[in-house]
Amino acid sequence: MFTKIKEAIKTNKKPDSHSVLQADNIGKSFGSKGNVQQVLKGIDLRVEKGEFVGIMGPSGAGKTTLLNVLATIDRPTEGTITISGSDISKMKDAQLSAFRRDRLGFIFQDYNLLDTLTVKENILLPVSLGKMRKKIAEAEFRSIADILGITELANKYPHEISGGQKQRNSAARALINQPSMVFADEPTGALDSKAASSLLGNLADVNEKREVTIMMVTHDPLASSYCSRVVFLKDGQIYSELYKGAKTRQAFFQEILNVQAVLGGDSIDAL
Amino acid sequence: MTLFDLAIRSMRKNVKHYYLYFFALILSVVLYFVFATLQYDQAIVEQGNKMISTAFLAAGILLVFIAGIFIIYANSIFLKRRSREIGLYQLIGLKKSTIARLLVVENTLLGIGALLVGILIGMLVSRVFLLLLLKLVGFETAISVSFSMKAVLQTIAVFIGIFALTTIQMIRMVYRNTLLSLFNKEKVGEHPKKPKTAAAAILAAAGVLFIVFGYWLSERMFDTNFFLNIFGVMVSTVAGTYLIFRVTLSWLLYKIRSRKEGHLGLANSLSIAPLMHRLKGNANSLTIITVLSAMTLSMIAGAYSFYYSTEQEALAKMPFDFIFEDEEVFAAEISAEMKEEGIEFQHGTMEILVTGGQLEAGALAVPSDPLYIAVVSDEELRNAGIDIEAPGTASASLHSTSSLSMFMDDERLPADLYFDDLEEPIEIAAFGEGNVINWETFYTQVVVNPTKYEQLKEELQASGSVEIRRIDGFHILNEQDLEAASSIYHQPKYYGANPRQDYYSTVQDGMQSNGLMIFIAGFLGLVFLVSTGSILYFKQMNEAEQEKQSYLTLRQLGFSVNEIMNGIIRKQLFVFGLPLAISLIHSIFALKALSYFFQSSILVSAITVMILFAAIYLLFALLTVGYYRKTVKMALR
Repeated sequence: MFTKIKEAIKTNKKPDSHSVLQADNIGKSFGSKGNVQQVLKGIDLRVEKGEFVGIMGPSGAGKTTLLNVLATIDRPTEGTITISGSDISKMKDAQLSAFRRDRLGFIFQDYNLLDTLTVKENILLPVSLGKMRKKIAEAEFRSIADILGITELANKYPHEISGGQKQRNSAARALINQPSMVFADEPTGALDSKAASSLLGNLADVNEKREVTIMMVTHDPLASSYCSRVVFLKDGQIYSELYKGAKTRQAFFQEILNVQAVLGGDSIDAL
Repeated sequence: MTLFDLAIRSMRKNVKHYYLYFFALILSVVLYFVFATLQYDQAIVEQGNKMISTAFLAAGILLVFIAGIFIIYANSIFLKRRSREIGLYQLIGLKKSTIARLLVVENTLLGIGALLVGILIGMLVSRVFLLLLLKLVGFETAISVSFSMKAVLQTIAVFIGIFALTTIQMIRMVYRNTLLSLFNKEKVGEHPKKPKTAAAAILAAAGVLFIVFGYWLSERMFDTNFFLNIFGVMVSTVAGTYLIFRVTLSWLLYKIRSRKEGHLGLANSLSIAPLMHRLKGNANSLTIITVLSAMTLSMIAGAYSFYYSTEQEALAKMPFDFIFEDEEVFAAEISAEMKEEGIEFQHGTMEILVTGGQLEAGALAVPSDPLYIAVVSDEELRNAGIDIEAPGTASASLHSTSSLSMFMDDERLPADLYFDDLEEPIEIAAFGEGNVINWETFYTQVVVNPTKYEQLKEELQASGSVEIRRIDGFHILNEQDLEAASSIYHQPKYYGANPRQDYYSTVQDGMQSNGLMIFIAGFLGLVFLVSTGSILYFKQMNEAEQEKQSYLTLRQLGFSVNEIMNGIIRKQLFVFGLPLAISLIHSIFALKALSYFFQSSILVSAITVMILFAAIYLLFALLTVGYYRKTVKMALR
């Protein structure tokens, strides 16, 4: 199945009904006249429904910038982005907000939970403007909390639970609105290795069971070994891609390490 | 780099935190200086009125307290914001004593700056306040505000005292806190616990009950022991207010929140949730603000009512512009004199029966004392220009502005009035509003129709316990002649046994003292309102800073600025609306109790003051919402 997709990407650059996200020639520069820094230099990327894409690369390669641009939090200076058939580069700010709320999910490195809300209230926040009926939201909450193993924590406050639990809480919040796509920025960055593997296992689970499309930025090869595809960035451009295909996770992990070694010895983030 | 350089540099860096604190300092200095200037101003000192200077002195002391508490409170809020910076200085190895010195230098510079700027602005605006004061008091002389060295020195002395206190506060902050607590200070919030249902519910209800009891008692304050009652009212409403903020509110919010079962919604997430997290810390200040607001409000409304009703009160006391009692010669002489001056007037003569009497037991809420009574016929009053009619052929109406009138209400009518030496009582069918004969005669007046008058005259003369006297009442017909007539009346040659009092000069005196009262009450009220409004605003600024990350997250999750602002505005409705609402209700009851002291209605003046009060609160609420909007907008650019 994955090889088929790979061929499709090579042969067909036109958007098709399967792709959730299509980005063409994305450029992003910061700074004003005289001191312009180009962070993204013409990136083409397509994500199919149900994919779990990892974005890797050395610091300064533009990983987080790319994620922010694709996730509509930031705007590209050039190029077009289409998510589920909507061209987000033409949207106004208000439309973008609504789009993020209704169609996308977010997981942040430092959880970004609201301290004053309980776990359940945090999770239900994205559907809080009442577009989803309470009954459906409740059912959705139960199913997600069940998969992520946080049902017991529903009435606790963020300060009462561990980092790993907070991140699962944050993941649940990202999934509650049945998003077209979930963006995760270094979700394991603040977790110890045990909590990290457990969270990644959860994400892979969700990806498989609920067919949620996930894009995750990480600098941890172990984390990206849970993905179905890993895209390597270097200096604002796509350097290479790896597909897991039928390989075991261990084998995939080894492959990722190899690419990383080639990519840039000393500039790889220290782990 | 010297410590001084460091202080200057850190002030420059902190200017966005500082400018509001600086502004608060300046404002306090300006207001105090204006007050001190007025206190020593020639135009006021020359009045030579002992009451005026005493009032200014008392208000000045109160002002020092308000300003002191305000500045210390504001300083503590801004210190909290800088705790991380202070911690950082310690982390990089600055000694505590050095940091303390740094803060002292900063504070001194700020203080000197505020004093200089404040006194300068104060000099510019004090003229405006003096004009306002003189207008209220009723002088319209051209005046110039003289520069008062005394006022400058007094202001400097007071504020050096206050700055010394804030300096001590800063030094304590540096020495008392650990590095860790300094770094976490900005984040400190509480986490609401599940209230113990039974106890919390009882306390929550107790809060409401205390207030209701206080209100109930305030309606009956005059029935029995006045001072005990007023004490009970105060204690019960203050305790109730505290419980409302501390327990009732959190209990209610907890109930609402748990009913939502996690489906809280954005607006509630931004109002109920953060409110619950800060209620414990805010209960004290909200209670103080509410109670003091209520007191200020009542004070201003009361003072304004006195001012507003000066004329009506005088009219109630003195239906005639002036009178003579058993002084026919004077009456004739003054008539001639006024004619000569071209003053048009109406002159009426009445015969009165002066005797003693007493109302039947139970006719009043209080035990009724023996009365000093003047019986007069309604016909003679009408002829003298007082529009009145006795209630019936056999019954009378009772008129007075003595303390007696506070307890007269129509519910207890009709009541019997017993004359000292007559068997048969006379029925009182109505209580009149105000006197029918000027109050300087001290009589409680009983108005009957001419037939009944003749009958009483006969009966009382037969029993021998009556004195028949003559009253000459004067009405000046043109308003512009009032002043001239008043000065004719006050000539020494007309002095009698009693000091002469007339309507015109009573109104003038009333305007003066009540004008001063309204000015001082209004001035203090303004200072107080600005202080409490600023404190609420500063606190909300702090909260906005603390919640910045939440707003960023919400923006990233796709909530628009306006959607987030809806929740924040809902929170401000609580923060500003609740103290305002409760203090308004408190003051309504306080004014209701106070209205016993007035002959006329104080409704208009009370409502005017309340609207003004609410408007100033609204202004601060709008400022706060503006600050939040900026914060939410800047959270995600």
